[in-house]
Amino acid sequence: MSTIQRTWKLNGKKVSVRGPAGRRLLDYLREDLDLIGAKEGCGEGECGACTVLIDNEPVASCIVPIGQLADGTEILTIEGVEKKRAGRLLQRAFLECGAVQCGFCIPGMIISAYALLMRNPRPTPRAIRAALAGNLCRCTGYAKIIQAVTLASSRLPVPTKRK
Amino acid sequence: MRPTENINIRFPKNLQEALRLQAKAGTRGQLLAGGTDLMVQWVSGTPPPRRATSVWNLPELCEIEVRDKDILIGAGVTHAFLVDATPIHRHLPALVAAAGTVGAAQIQARGTLGGNVANASPAGDTAPALLVTDGTVLLASLGGIREVPLTQFWTGYRQIDARPDEIIQAFRLPKKGAARERFRKIGTRKAQAISKIMAASRIRVRKGQIVSAAIALGSIAATPVRLTQVEDFLAGKPLTAKLITDAEQLAQKTVQPIADIRSTAEYRRWVTGRLVRDALENL
Amino acid sequence: MSKAASQPRRLVGHGMIRVDADGKVRGQTRYLNDIRYRNVWHGVVVRSPVARGRFKALTLDPAFDWSRVVVATAEDIPGENVVHMHDRTMPLLGEVGGELLYRGEPVAVVAAKTLKLATEAAGHIRVEVEELPPLLTLQETVDIFKKTPKRFVSMQDKNIVKGDLAKGFAEADEILEAEYWAGHQEQLYIENQGIVVFPQKDGSILAEGSLQCPYFPVNELNDPLQLPPEKIRVRQTPVGGAFGGKEEYPTMLVGYAALPALKSGRPVKITYERHEDILFTPKRHPVWVRYKTGFKKDGTLTAIECDYILDGGAYLTISDVVMFRGILHCALAYRCDNVVIRGRVARTNSMPSGAFRGFGAPQAIWGIESHMDAIAARLGMTPHALRRKLHARAGDTTPTGQVLSKENGATECLNLALERSQFAQKLRQSSRGKLRKGQSKYYGAGLSFFAHGAAFTGDGEAKFQAKGRVELARLEDGRPGVNIRVSSTEMGQGVHTIFTQIAADAFSLDPARIRYPMADTGLVPDSGPTVASRTTMVVGNIVHRASLDLKAQMEAFASLHFFRGEKARLENSQFHAEGRKPLPFGRVAGKMLDELGEASGFFQFKLPADIRWDQDRFRGDSYPGYSWAAHIAEVEIDPITCELEVTRVTAVIDVGRIINPILAAGQVEGGLTQALGYAVMEKMATGKDGLYDASRLQTYIIPTALDTPAYDIQFVEYPYSFAPPGGKGLGELPMDGLAPAIANAVEAAIGKRLRTIPITPESIFDALHDPSGATP
Repeated sequence: MSTIQRTWKLNGKKVSVRGPAGRRLLDYLREDLDLIGAKEGCGEGECGACTVLIDNEPVASCIVPIGQLADGTEILTIEGVEKKRAGRLLQRAFLECGAVQCGFCIPGMIISAYALLMRNPRPTPRAIRAALAGNLCRCTGYAKIIQAVTLASSRLPVPTKRK
Repeated sequence: MRPTENINIRFPKNLQEALRLQAKAGTRGQLLAGGTDLMVQWVSGTPPPRRATSVWNLPELCEIEVRDKDILIGAGVTHAFLVDATPIHRHLPALVAAAGTVGAAQIQARGTLGGNVANASPAGDTAPALLVTDGTVLLASLGGIREVPLTQFWTGYRQIDARPDEIIQAFRLPKKGAARERFRKIGTRKAQAISKIMAASRIRVRKGQIVSAAIALGSIAATPVRLTQVEDFLAGKPLTAKLITDAEQLAQKTVQPIADIRSTAEYRRWVTGRLVRDALENL
Repeated sequence: MSKAASQPRRLVGHGMIRVDADGKVRGQTRYLNDIRYRNVWHGVVVRSPVARGRFKALTLDPAFDWSRVVVATAEDIPGENVVHMHDRTMPLLGEVGGELLYRGEPVAVVAAKTLKLATEAAGHIRVEVEELPPLLTLQETVDIFKKTPKRFVSMQDKNIVKGDLAKGFAEADEILEAEYWAGHQEQLYIENQGIVVFPQKDGSILAEGSLQCPYFPVNELNDPLQLPPEKIRVRQTPVGGAFGGKEEYPTMLVGYAALPALKSGRPVKITYERHEDILFTPKRHPVWVRYKTGFKKDGTLTAIECDYILDGGAYLTISDVVMFRGILHCALAYRCDNVVIRGRVARTNSMPSGAFRGFGAPQAIWGIESHMDAIAARLGMTPHALRRKLHARAGDTTPTGQVLSKENGATECLNLALERSQFAQKLRQSSRGKLRKGQSKYYGAGLSFFAHGAAFTGDGEAKFQAKGRVELARLEDGRPGVNIRVSSTEMGQGVHTIFTQIAADAFSLDPARIRYPMADTGLVPDSGPTVASRTTMVVGNIVHRASLDLKAQMEAFASLHFFRGEKARLENSQFHAEGRKPLPFGRVAGKMLDELGEASGFFQFKLPADIRWDQDRFRGDSYPGYSWAAHIAEVEIDPITCELEVTRVTAVIDVGRIINPILAAGQVEGGLTQALGYAVMEKMATGKDGLYDASRLQTYIIPTALDTPAYDIQFVEYPYSFAPPGGKGLGELPMDGLAPAIANAVEAAIGKRLRTIPITPESIFDALHDPSGATP
């Protein structure tokens, strides 16, 4: 075992991290920090329930060892997403569209949708489907989730265009 | 506590330091890049190694250099990065398409090209697209760089031609030039699927004549394979409907497919021919 | 007071936002594994290493330090080693000296302070068995059934007989016989199974976890644990999906965890990881169904003979009722005077099959809806013309002799689905194995039409008499409100929301004053399990009636205490009386709570008196009500690769009164997507090693957001008037009928009928290259 000591920016706040280098980010978030929004559905990077953003990219936190996250790494979890405008819009749209059923996949789903809107504020339905393809949902059949992301996108300010 | 927590992971700052660690570690020096395969194996039954060396984000492994005739792609480049790297798209379209079919966004963000190659799964998504470039693997060690053709790199089921002290630094991939590339992956679903079969092709036609043809398949044998008999058959011949049919049949005759949980040998044999046809009909 | 203001607001029929969604979108809802328990030990199940064998011995490695762990075996079971589901054959744990009947059958439970230690200890237990030859698959049992029926072992038989089959075949111009197969299907709730059991000082236990039916463990573990129902208390934690998978199985987990908990006096938690969850929890039953049908040239069906065999696995558990529901759906939706349906549950040496949304009906409808198209093809009729002619409607008699009521949208569903999808035109455009002009892919459209019986089969509801209560209570803000106390569990389907709507309307009360706490058998009457598409119909009616009961009590109280005997009525959260200033709800409710201490409304569900059912002969009114649906699937098949894409699904559905159209549509979209997976990708079988051959998410493939088609969903409402607000059962129906619609569309696309699901590129390839027919 090797122990690491790092400083990350987690949900906008500096955190000091200490633990075995091979500890899964998911376990660290859930057990050490009680950030339980990210869920374990499969433990092998297939279901997306554990999705968090690392430096703006969605990753499956169940297969990321904390040692690989250098000082200064920015991590965003569902608990931090509501501090972001697009995050709040997504949460609101998920409520309004009925995109939530059992809810277990939803934190990961919203994180993936948030990552998409950060890159592409006006995604096509096809782009939304592709961006969410790594998040399995067994309840909804995705229709209302795609609708909710579309609705949130429509409420985001129009991206500034070059003149 | 998860088994991965017991691993003594080292975090070298640069390639030189990583190479020194590997030279010292000898056969025990498991390399760990994005972890999309290894972390899964280690939490699901395969005992993890005692030590590992992280090559994730090593600066020397994360470069892409577009040169005159070829492109150097660092082994640590992620699939997501490849998908976004527009300058390489027109030179290596099959590889970019293949990278876009690896897992889903979460896996593409962590999985690396070097990891995909080193993992040496017959279903490695980028392998067929790499194979048709006739490119090489650049293996670094304290002794310098060794360059191995990709066509010789996968030596058996999950076996690669690399010494324990070597680290895949980069791939040198010739640009496609005037050739046309095509990539198709057939999975059980449209995303997050391990393929039933994949095909990549790079075929050059001039004035109705096939100048050169490279066709590679994945998920069909113990390693990714080139269809050399079909390629030889095609080279120099005029592209006609009959040629396409003959090539389809030759491919079906010469391929030696496996059967496993994802597909049957019969289907793989048939669809191999169909994919050859598809490549030739879309030139 | 203006007239407009006196109109009570109505919530039923509106898409109210879910009451549980806020915590879920914020990641604040705590599911079982998110709850921080202190001093809870972790349990690990030790299992049979073989599919069948004589259990010789269970030995603990003497080199291991056992002082830090507790091991429970069959010897530690306080009472009789049997779990009482629908029969009494299944032991809680395999017993030394007995026979182990499936790979993975539990033989011991190890618990320790950490999961790591418990897992390590489990590895030091040797399970010695003398292996016996197993019978692993449905295919093997069906072979026996066909060749040597006397050797076929059925755990439960049931026949439906209507009319005179021989006469029916004698009248037929044509006879068509065919077989249909389907494999296992995994529920794949995203939250795995988990239970924690707390032993109490008085010898009782408290269990909580992710489950659908809190009263099942209460009533099924009395014998082994030697605890009466009142000493087993079960409460629900938020459920991350269930779909039947958390119906009967959590009882087993409560039993497994209870043994080391009772032995050690410590709370024990057992949670499965995905691999263990897929391998060792029940799946949808594989089915073999054979239809032999007689019909006249004009399409009249004169005879239906059907054999329906489910793979029940090693023990019956609940497979009898799955088979009952299955055979009741085998010929339900069509007019035919002469019917024989024979249902069987085969025993195999595999994990017992169990509940999964649809509960035998999807397997039956897969068969009959494929077969109806085959009949149409034989007659040279279109699939829709045949169904228009034959579909059951009000006044028709079902195979068990039930006369269908007027509350029946069958015809409207069929016609509207055909119209919305322009089916006739789409059928003409179908490729039939030949690419038409402008088509780069084979295109096909397919139809299915079916019914789903709502609530318990036969006299189940009559016998059960589900109960429920609503009570006045001080809410978390200290102000008075109403608690809904029923045992229906929220598992994503939205029951907490729709019951809030129903109660709000019954009271005419602001839904913000209504709470629906998680089901807890210590606090709620037994309104039955959350299964069988019965919740809205039966328990929804209970909530409605119990709310009216409490409302009447409150109105009487208000009249007496505030309005000097003037008749009072509660409307829009205020009590009104002629000539008086209205009083807010809280004022009256608060005083009522202060004076009476408590107040509640109660209702016990009873079926109409004229419902008749004969369980032995399987005759009579098999369900209180029926939901109806017609589906149209459109598919494209790539001629290069045989890859299949379902591009569009039209679903027109009558499930009676729609309480919440947004949630209802969500149920349909979700169910259709599970059915899509069942039809085209979810493949699982018992392997030679006795284990399911797909046991991880890498190998068991369910649809992603890229795989789902465009859904066009339309409801037509024929409410169940006996039980206001009149829902007829929605949960299961969307799972029932898409697979055959897709198979029928595939037939329209390639000109070949596939009789096994899932339909894969490989099976399409095989069909196209089948030497027994012309390759299109």
